[in-house]
Amino acid sequence: MSGTFKRLAWVLGGLVAAIAVASIQSGTDAANLTKAGAYCIALVGLSFLTGWSGQISIGNSGFMLVGGYSAAFWTLHHPGEPVAISMIVAIAVSAFVGLIIGMPATRLRGPYLAGMTLAFAVALPYVPQSFAVSTLGGSQGLTITPLSAPQWFFNLFDTNNTLPVVINSRFTAMVSVVIAALVLWLMSNLFTSKTGRAMRLVRDNDVAAELVGLHLGRTRAQAFVLTAALSGLAGALLVMVSGTASPSTYEFGFTFSIALLTLMVLGGIGSLSGAIIAALLGVYSLQITTWITDHTGLGPDSWVSAKLPNLAPNMENILFGILLIVTMIFAPRGIVGLATGLRQKLISVTRR
Amino acid sequence: MIANILTNRIVNDIAGGTAQGVIIGLVALCLVLVWRATRVLNFAQGPMAMFVTYIGMTQMDHHANFWVAAAISVAVGFIFSALTEIVIVKPLYHKAEINPIVVMVGMFTLLEAVASAVWTNIPRYPTAPFSSINFQSEGNPTGLSPLSTFQIGAALAIMTLVAILFNYTSLGLKLRASALAPEVSKLLGIRVGRLLTLGWGIAGAVGAVAGVVISLNPGGLAPNMLDAMFILGFIAAAIGGLDSPLGALVSGIVIGVVMQLINDYWNSNYADMVAVVLLVVVLMLRPQGIFTKNSTRRV
Amino acid sequence: MSSTPVATTSSTLLELDAISVRFGGLAALTDVSFSVNPGEIVGLIGPNGAGKTTAFNVACGFVEPTEGSVRLPKSGLTNPQPSQLARAGVARTLQGVGLFENCTVLENVMAGAQSRPGGRFWTSLLGLPHGQKELKAEALSVLDRLGVADYAAQMPTAIPYGIAKRVAVARALIARPSLLLLDEPASGLDEAELDAFAELIRGLRSEMGVLLVEHNMDFVMPLVDRLVVLSFGKVIATGTPSEVRQNPAVIEAYLGVDE
Repeated sequence: MSGTFKRLAWVLGGLVAAIAVASIQSGTDAANLTKAGAYCIALVGLSFLTGWSGQISIGNSGFMLVGGYSAAFWTLHHPGEPVAISMIVAIAVSAFVGLIIGMPATRLRGPYLAGMTLAFAVALPYVPQSFAVSTLGGSQGLTITPLSAPQWFFNLFDTNNTLPVVINSRFTAMVSVVIAALVLWLMSNLFTSKTGRAMRLVRDNDVAAELVGLHLGRTRAQAFVLTAALSGLAGALLVMVSGTASPSTYEFGFTFSIALLTLMVLGGIGSLSGAIIAALLGVYSLQITTWITDHTGLGPDSWVSAKLPNLAPNMENILFGILLIVTMIFAPRGIVGLATGLRQKLISVTRR
Repeated sequence: MIANILTNRIVNDIAGGTAQGVIIGLVALCLVLVWRATRVLNFAQGPMAMFVTYIGMTQMDHHANFWVAAAISVAVGFIFSALTEIVIVKPLYHKAEINPIVVMVGMFTLLEAVASAVWTNIPRYPTAPFSSINFQSEGNPTGLSPLSTFQIGAALAIMTLVAILFNYTSLGLKLRASALAPEVSKLLGIRVGRLLTLGWGIAGAVGAVAGVVISLNPGGLAPNMLDAMFILGFIAAAIGGLDSPLGALVSGIVIGVVMQLINDYWNSNYADMVAVVLLVVVLMLRPQGIFTKNSTRRV
Repeated sequence: MSSTPVATTSSTLLELDAISVRFGGLAALTDVSFSVNPGEIVGLIGPNGAGKTTAFNVACGFVEPTEGSVRLPKSGLTNPQPSQLARAGVARTLQGVGLFENCTVLENVMAGAQSRPGGRFWTSLLGLPHGQKELKAEALSVLDRLGVADYAAQMPTAIPYGIAKRVAVARALIARPSLLLLDEPASGLDEAELDAFAELIRGLRSEMGVLLVEHNMDFVMPLVDRLVVLSFGKVIATGTPSEVRQNPAVIEAYLGVDE
């Protein structure tokens, strides 16, 4: 029980810190933080699926699309109803789609599963583009009124002549961070619970897991539904903030599935704090890339860039591709794994 | 009478679909070769083939003729794929199943970004020594052109070569042995490690052929030119059962024809989705694919 | 207890009734029948390739019988699925150790009680208590009973083989089974460990029936109450160890292999 309280305190601490950040930083940072919250939710879902139930998905952008469109659709047809209901609808619909995809998925081994989920993510954007164009908006997508800060929030921040847009971004950042924190708390409960253990047992040794009474398909499907639900929530959050759900939304395309996988591995598979780090990494990847190229002589003014003018826009992906390969080979537990290893080393050194 | 058949819409679709289907089958074959050799699903198969196709075909800018450029692509394809196996795949054998998947996804991102940096995203159109204007029959177009006939021919020729290599040569026997029973093969004095590298090399060369053939399509040569083809190739390989080269070819052709018919009679946007739906349905019914035998679980 | 569709007068725990298994054209088992009763230790023996493991896997639902049926009269199940066994009071150990490699020894034992009610999804998600503390204490006491409580916090890959086998038994025992299936319990153990392990199994007889597959005769003979001997997929003898030892068919089966 004390463990639960410890985790709760940890999550609350992060929450307070993030809210503090949200209220002092610029509008851009607030907008980034909003995204980071959504990314974090999607990453926790993927991390749980991969790290705890041992399944892989390169299709979570598809579930994000389902969640985003569900939220937008519901909001369009039920204007004035609380945002939370749109979110819950998004979670329910994407969980259902997760169940449908998860049913064959639970019988598949890693590579089949990875390929099938990837195919799902590639094909899904065609659905709103080609089917029910009048209800799903075709390639234009759906447009709704974005989430905006209530009056009391404006009153609270209007003291130093901040732009309304910035105040609004702060509000969405806070909403996003609070939802992410809630998700982190729930998932930290799950990680240490009987259900969480069931996932690990199935991952570790499926024969032994069956013999202790676990139904393999059901356990794996449960993890799949959960990852779909969380991805859907993340997608809904992005749509509620931006006001649009369209087939060309970056987070709804299969490249974002690949980005999620990359970020999750870099952060640390199966780790909650890894998901937070990975989310920030994802949001600030361009800035990080620019910083690195500027400090390694590969920036826009360098001789390499003079020869290859198209290098700069591709630098981010080159870097992430290399990082992903190197991480998987040399540090498969990601940044969090490296940090834990370092801490244990330090402890053993100081004890000596 | 014959003229009517040759220019019939459905027959044309089947012919055109077969041309694309054989290419899908070729991509699927690369995946099957790598899977059979090392139990790795090469998610970077598309970008790897794209990359070496660029290296060869851009030699045409330097006055190399088409065949020389194609040969360079295939040779580089072999070397590049073998090197990939040695440098980044070997360390991952006997690790968790997802590790090689993730690494190959990294390779995917890296190669597409490098290709885009070096050759930009603007497609190139290598000039083929074949016309893409369809054969005529009594003034009406048939479903095939000299170019698509060449594409089918090249794909089938490579598949036949691979089949002969694996089934009728002692090298092929060793390749199969080291993939199926590495421990026993080691005891028999077969250098398993080298043969696995060779297996990747062969797959890389086959992939380069696929890349060259596909670069002659209307889409041309572009960094993401094989993304869609990879997905279709995977679907074909998975439906066939990942272990079966023949299954890969047959399901490739079926997918090609079905997609062509949907394109022609319905909506091109539906074609990709139908392929995915086909995959989901097949995997629900037979998770191990159609062309492989049911394996019992080890307890 | 609900009425069972199987008509059994005795309190039999496990019944294999005229089981045949064919893989393709190959007959792995032909018309195999035997049963296990409470308080009884039954050994399933036979030369290599006789079908011992197949028979065992049929009993657990990992292999589907081509003909015949497996019955668990106590729970009324016929041809149970592997995941139904735990709830039906059947626990099984695996060849080797078969532990969950990325879970601690303690978690491995706790996993044995996975099929108990409570701790479903929503309880888990909201972090509500679901008896994990009590379970932890219970797991420790089972480990203690098997003399390996010191290893509770270790990972299964870091402990000696003999210890790991005991942990596997602990995982089976925490489910409080009425029938325990042991798959080659003696393999990989040294003389001293074997004696201790035999003593351990004998001590379980008062609580449950035990069925074990084993090829180490020195281990099996003094331990079991009854033997079922398989050869070429058929039961060639049943009876007490001394009866079986004098059975000419058994001698022939074993000698035939030695040649």
